[in-house]
Amino acid sequence: MARGLSLYAEGESPLHRAHPLTKGVLTLSAIALAFALPSIGWVAGLLAALLALAVVAGVLRRLLAVAVVVLLPITVLLLVVQGLVNPANRTVAIAIGPVALYEEGLAIAALSALRIACLVVATFLLSFTTRPADLAEALVQRGLSPRIGYVIQSALQIIPQTLEAAVRIQDAQRARGLETEGGLPRRARAYLPLLLPLVLSSLVATQERAMALEVRGFGRQVRRISRRVFRDSLAQRLLRWALALSVPAVVGLRLAGWR
Amino acid sequence: MSWINAFRIRLNTLAIVLIPVCVAINWGGHTIASTLKLPLFLDSIGTVLGGLLAGPWVGALSGLISNLISSGTVDPIAAPYSLVSVLIGFAAGIAGYLSWQRQRWGWLALYLLVFLVASVASTPLNLALFQGQTGVPFGDAVFAALVKAGLPTWLAAYCGEAVVDLPDKLVTVGVALLVYQGLPNRFRSLFALYRRPQPA
Repeated sequence: MARGLSLYAEGESPLHRAHPLTKGVLTLSAIALAFALPSIGWVAGLLAALLALAVVAGVLRRLLAVAVVVLLPITVLLLVVQGLVNPANRTVAIAIGPVALYEEGLAIAALSALRIACLVVATFLLSFTTRPADLAEALVQRGLSPRIGYVIQSALQIIPQTLEAAVRIQDAQRARGLETEGGLPRRARAYLPLLLPLVLSSLVATQERAMALEVRGFGRQVRRISRRVFRDSLAQRLLRWALALSVPAVVGLRLAGWR
Repeated sequence: MSWINAFRIRLNTLAIVLIPVCVAINWGGHTIASTLKLPLFLDSIGTVLGGLLAGPWVGALSGLISNLISSGTVDPIAAPYSLVSVLIGFAAGIAGYLSWQRQRWGWLALYLLVFLVASVASTPLNLALFQGQTGVPFGDAVFAALVKAGLPTWLAAYCGEAVVDLPDKLVTVGVALLVYQGLPNRFRSLFALYRRPQPA
């Protein structure tokens, strides 16, 4: 975990070079569209477009590797449960002995699974092409409180440190005879001895960090000037507006009776 | 309506610094639970602890940022559920402002409040995303059985979510309260401004 948390993959593609906000708006509007579009065909088209963008960014294979881990169990659960018990079920699709999966439920599950796939791929597209620090910085430049910007960046640094500390504590407690394997009651008993030292040590460090920040003027209400400059363009600005407006447009069409 | 005042307190530097630590506690709690292969998430201990110590905004921001970071790195489905984390943070923050952690009944009340908030807020999200399923095999088995038995989907969805949250939030709130009790008084008193002023 020393590499840190980010999925960011170095690259020179147009997606990598785009303004962080453009990619953020792209992800959010793609997710909203996935749930606003009416049918399997449209949602599958959106998913194909997102995957095409992953090809352009040169991250398709790595993106699929992490996306499948998230999507596979959820898709199987959806198909099985909806295929078995969805109230709309009428037509038997597959029958295995006394158990039957129905067409209606499977279709509903497939639409849900495709929508979730859009959500997952759109989010990972942003993660793979944008440094989290750049995204936070771009948001601060557009008016997000610098204190919140600090919180996000600081959390991204503290989490890997905490996980390293967790491994150290686990080794130390095991050396003292703590059992971390075996039946459920035994594993459950190991939870507190592993968690409490971690929590207490990280809490106690906060006061020191607060004082260190305070003497550097963290709490002062002054205008901050950023060192990072992100290149923006008229085309990107128009694209952001177009993407953002596509969502109310589709919702409007749906309300007008598009199905 | 004195609990509304819990939202009026401005965050100082110490409270701001506490937020990333609570995010890391959420993360650590979940990682240890998965390392031990426990059948619970235990991913909001930091949110509850942050709320108890420093009020609803610290709790809510800890929850929100945990879910956003988690969705950007391992599980994008966490993003819509950040709403649930924010509400858990608010609930714990109000409880902390009213000093529920000082009384035994307050422990039970905090557990019930967090459980209700989590299960009620998750259900509409489960309906929108997963047709009412929870995405957890145990919860989905309960959901499937209840739908099969003829219950309306929304009620089956709530029950499926509730059987997952009932033990998860019990351990989450229990551990957060244990940690709170274990903190040195010197440390807890740093956050005294986030408590309701006691009548003298």
